[in-house]
Amino acid sequence: MNVAASGVWQKNPALAWREIDEETVIISPGESVMHELNDTGSFVWRNIDGQLSAMDLAGLLVEQYDVTQDVALTDTLSLLEELSARKLLLPAETQGGGAR
Amino acid sequence: MSSAVQIAATPLMDRLIARTVRNRRPLSVHFDLTYRCNERCVHCYLDHDDHGEMTTAECVDALEQLAKAGAFFLTFSGGEIFLRQDLKELLTAARRLRFDLSLKTNALLVTPGRAEMLKRYGVRRVQISIYSAEAAIHDAITKVPGSLQRSLAAIPLLQEQGILVKIACPLMKQNLLAYRGVMALAEQLGVPYVLDLTITPMMDGANGPLDHRVSPEALLPVLQDSALHACGTKVIPEDFGSAPVLGSSVSSGVESSAYEDLPCSAGHNSCYVSPYGDIYACVQLPMAAGNLRNKTFEEIWTNAPALERIRNVRESELPLCSSCEIRSYCERCPGLAWMEGGDLLGAYERACALAETKAKVSGVTNAKSAWHKKISVETGALPAHAGPASKHIGCVKTKEKEILYA
Repeated sequence: MNVAASGVWQKNPALAWREIDEETVIISPGESVMHELNDTGSFVWRNIDGQLSAMDLAGLLVEQYDVTQDVALTDTLSLLEELSARKLLLPAETQGGGAR
Repeated sequence: MSSAVQIAATPLMDRLIARTVRNRRPLSVHFDLTYRCNERCVHCYLDHDDHGEMTTAECVDALEQLAKAGAFFLTFSGGEIFLRQDLKELLTAARRLRFDLSLKTNALLVTPGRAEMLKRYGVRRVQISIYSAEAAIHDAITKVPGSLQRSLAAIPLLQEQGILVKIACPLMKQNLLAYRGVMALAEQLGVPYVLDLTITPMMDGANGPLDHRVSPEALLPVLQDSALHACGTKVIPEDFGSAPVLGSSVSSGVESSAYEDLPCSAGHNSCYVSPYGDIYACVQLPMAAGNLRNKTFEEIWTNAPALERIRNVRESELPLCSSCEIRSYCERCPGLAWMEGGDLLGAYERACALAETKAKVSGVTNAKSAWHKKISVETGALPAHAGPASKHIGCVKTKEKEILYA
């Protein structure tokens, strides 16, 4: 796991995306690749704002869904890592970014 | 919550189409910004005039409403989009609203600076009309001397910006056999292309452009061309000409089993916006559903009787076509059925004739559409003073198909 719980992320500004009926479709124009997030992935994506940390996002998941903090954090970090690997997320300029 | 947060597997596009059809979300929108143009293509279905285009603010408001309704794949087209003085503002709005943006243009006005601007505003794909690799043929169709050279010059400018370029080549009498040259040109440039057999009447129903349409018999050299078949001849629904080809994570084509018994995406998960704010199910189905100047998009999309009528069409329930023996060769378009025959559910001559031609090319003997069979019977029963069957047929337009170089 290369993503820190304290890390802060922002959406890649080059992306096109749309949340449609609680699922999110994302296209990275440079690669012309489409990605899809399910409802909880979309919930996290919706709340990624360049201000909230991974821990904050996990907290929001706990409030929204019937899930423990540990599971929420594990899943959030996993998602952020994958989104980062796909260049859909970038380290936020504040706090020096989201990776360790 | 094991795996509750995950990135879904392929094929994404099929699922997206299925979901948006089921929930009636306008996933794909074709937005003509203007009908004005700096070319005068002989086959064009537009009048090239400005009858009161939406202002910048109206266009931006329309884009915001579309985004809110779930529209994602957005195509700016025309007319020639670069004639909109506010194109930069509209691109800015589209970028802000996170549309996946495509453009259709003749590219005459693309400069290095404008190509860079398109990249900066997130334009992913640009489709350019090229009618021939020979300037004499292309320029005669556009009626603009030097237009081929200028359009072709734009392609590397766009490619340098990482923008995907596709050549669209409508085929008509003037350039029917020029497609081989266009194929070679596209390969040389490293871009995909579409050969499009569609020539339609004017938006107001005038049939002038149809004089340029090729007869089914004259299309035989194209339909029988082994080079096209070797490349994988493919039918592409017009409405998803703007859908992305997204590598391995997406279904291979733009056809989708999600449409099942529906004739196409029009009115289900796609629509058209005119420069004047009119909403249609499709540019080829100009049955006005409403206007953004007096209703919201949501009101129109949700409640318009015209859209509801289109949504109720089912291929299996078409009174004549559903029983046609050569249906599998037919590219019937509900919009053209309505425009040509006045019947959303009806057959129309061009589709029937083309289906028969294609069936014959494929080795079907005595290929005859259900409509022509019916006409034959009815003609025999007509009184002596009645005109020939062709007079009753009277339709001269079709969506036909696009042949994709895979």
